Amino acid sequence: MIDNEPVLRRTFLIDAARLAAGGLLASELQLLAGCARDDGNRDVDFNMLTVAEGRAMRALAAQICPRNGDLPGANDAGVVYFVDRVFGMPFFADAAALIRSGLADLDARATIAGKHADFAAASDEEQIAIMRVIDKSPFFIAARTLVVIGMFSDPKYGGNRGEVGWSLLGIEHRPSFTAPFGFYDAQVSAPAAPGAA
Amino acid sequence: MTEVPFRQRTYTQSDAVDFVIVGSGAAGGVLAKELSTAGFNVVVLEQGPWRQSSQFTHDELAVEQQHDLLNISTEPFQTFRATETETPRRNTGQNIRYLRGVGGSSVHFAANYWRLRPSDFKEHSMVGSVAGATLADWPLSYEELEPYYTKVDWEIGVSGAPGPFDPPRSRPYPMPPLPIKSSGVLLERAANKLGLHAQPAPFAINSVPRDGRSSCQSCGRCTNYGCEFGAKSSTLVTVIPKAIATGRCEIRTECTAFRVETNAKGRATGVVYWDRDGKERKQHARATILAANGAETARLLLLSASPHFPHGLANSSGMVGRNLMFNCYSHSFGLFEHPLNEFKGAVTGRIVLDYYEHDATRGFYGGGGIDARFPYNPIAFALSMLPADVPSWGREYTRALHEYFTHTVRFTSHLTSLPQLANSITLDADYKDAHGRPALSLTYSDHTDDRSAQLWFQRKMHDMMVAAGARKVWDLPIVPSDGSVHLLGTARMGNDPRHSVVDRYHRAHDVPNLFVCDGSSMVTSGRAQPTMTIQALAFRAADHIARFARAHEI
Repeated sequence: MIDNEPVLRRTFLIDAARLAAGGLLASELQLLAGCARDDGNRDVDFNMLTVAEGRAMRALAAQICPRNGDLPGANDAGVVYFVDRVFGMPFFADAAALIRSGLADLDARATIAGKHADFAAASDEEQIAIMRVIDKSPFFIAARTLVVIGMFSDPKYGGNRGEVGWSLLGIEHRPSFTAPFGFYDAQVSAPAAPGAA
Repeated sequence: MTEVPFRQRTYTQSDAVDFVIVGSGAAGGVLAKELSTAGFNVVVLEQGPWRQSSQFTHDELAVEQQHDLLNISTEPFQTFRATETETPRRNTGQNIRYLRGVGGSSVHFAANYWRLRPSDFKEHSMVGSVAGATLADWPLSYEELEPYYTKVDWEIGVSGAPGPFDPPRSRPYPMPPLPIKSSGVLLERAANKLGLHAQPAPFAINSVPRDGRSSCQSCGRCTNYGCEFGAKSSTLVTVIPKAIATGRCEIRTECTAFRVETNAKGRATGVVYWDRDGKERKQHARATILAANGAETARLLLLSASPHFPHGLANSSGMVGRNLMFNCYSHSFGLFEHPLNEFKGAVTGRIVLDYYEHDATRGFYGGGGIDARFPYNPIAFALSMLPADVPSWGREYTRALHEYFTHTVRFTSHLTSLPQLANSITLDADYKDAHGRPALSLTYSDHTDDRSAQLWFQRKMHDMMVAAGARKVWDLPIVPSDGSVHLLGTARMGNDPRHSVVDRYHRAHDVPNLFVCDGSSMVTSGRAQPTMTIQALAFRAADHIARFARAHEI
């Protein structure tokens, strides 16, 4: 049923044979989580991304889910570090190749269009103009998917730092809750009597 | 992960037990408990691991994107085609999905527990034949099944309260309903304005501490997730521990059944399976019971073809794998002024059943129920659940993520699917699964009446969303079904061996000591929420199977 439509399978067109190894992901990521970084804006110390790829990925993420006033964006969540970590994992292997070539293409477009050193060096307006050209491409769809997952997955995977993604949505991330849950049920008076017949 | 959390009786391979049951899910768990309690020796073959409640997490990436709990996390191929004239293509569509592990899909279901109504069992008599469909009456009535629905209420653990359209019940719910949510308040508001009736939704979830288990902690992760509190009444935490406690039941995990063996007399002798080390083994038994779900039960029967049963075991009717039903759905969304916070609590709190019954004046077969929910967790929501007029990236995207997540609700219709011969599970001719068996191949197209029902209900729900006071209302496009977690009808019950696989007691027409009891037994689809009925059937089947065993009639 539609409540658990496998979104990622469709997005990445993952060959299901690779999923056999996917169960390794969680445990491997937990090991890597020990290397957590505090500085969300450094361009060095990536495991899987090159410095150039990291610059382009950070700039792209910042345009896909930008900070908007007080609302946090992808770079507040450290999405680029999520991408860096999961690139080595079987589940994301197909996406990694697609993303790498797409990031290089972004840099090339920025150089050709604006004589910039790379995509990250372009202005917001120029970056957005480039993205509008390619935002239906498999690369962009995969990159957006990664940004979203990095923004909203469990922080143990390296993104969603300080749970800012969940905060953006308005979620209190707790293991349990008690009624009332929202505005409208809070307005309803008495709870159901126990022992309903 | 694989450690057995209980000390349990174990049997050797050569022990001919009374019953070998394939599958420990909604039906298999009930059958194991009932038959072992009745004094029989039982071995249950479960292809997945034995997880404990404390092992379940809220990790959306692992559970919903990587599908760590599901068959598709380890299954390399399934194939799909819409019609029998097409060539099946691999790994398209949503696939056949179920949880692999003790408790089966009762571990990760949303736990909506609606009973069927008396009309569900005799719709062919009431409606007549529908072109292109194999609509049939059930070989039993609501009245015959009612005591077993009540048994599910009390032995599995169902919370709820009576509603205006409920079928007769012999005993009240054992627990009061779960708390109402904002979605339920809004659904009720709409219902009251439009002359409809909202009622508390029944759930196989503890609303109060009961039977040694916790009450619901409203964590909000019922659908797709295992309950770390043990409050959800899966067979993992209800009947299976009781089966083990009899000292007569062994749950043998990570064992994948691949053939039911039969002898020259056409009787089942037991089940051949691969153990956790991949070694081929056989469990001998006086009788074999398949409860592996509507896809895997069909595959197992088809894989068990032999010279005596050339078209698959118990398939003289040709009905094995056919008449597959998924249930249909449609959706209408609303954005509200104040926060609903639907990420808290069970999936819904109120349902509207005014349109449950078939009504010929609508111009199509079918009916359904409506509930209110917003069942999307953060990743799934942000990927694809904002309305189409919201940009999918950029500053407006960030703003919409913030604005919509806590303020949106979805009204969903849960609908009939017509049984059709061509909708089926078959063995794929080219692709193999991880064990080298022919992969599951799915053929499925919604009936035109199914689509008409989806559209009719969507229009009704759109009006309800407006009546509820939504600031903005939008509908999700209706797309053809290409996979499901509801796997129904593929070994249908019936009195006529020419048109059904099992009789009214779940005994295979062709094999006297083979029984089939799971979603495959269902003759019609109900209005979704099939597990309540699957378990009532399992309690009933166990009564009759035990009777046959005592009378040496197996």
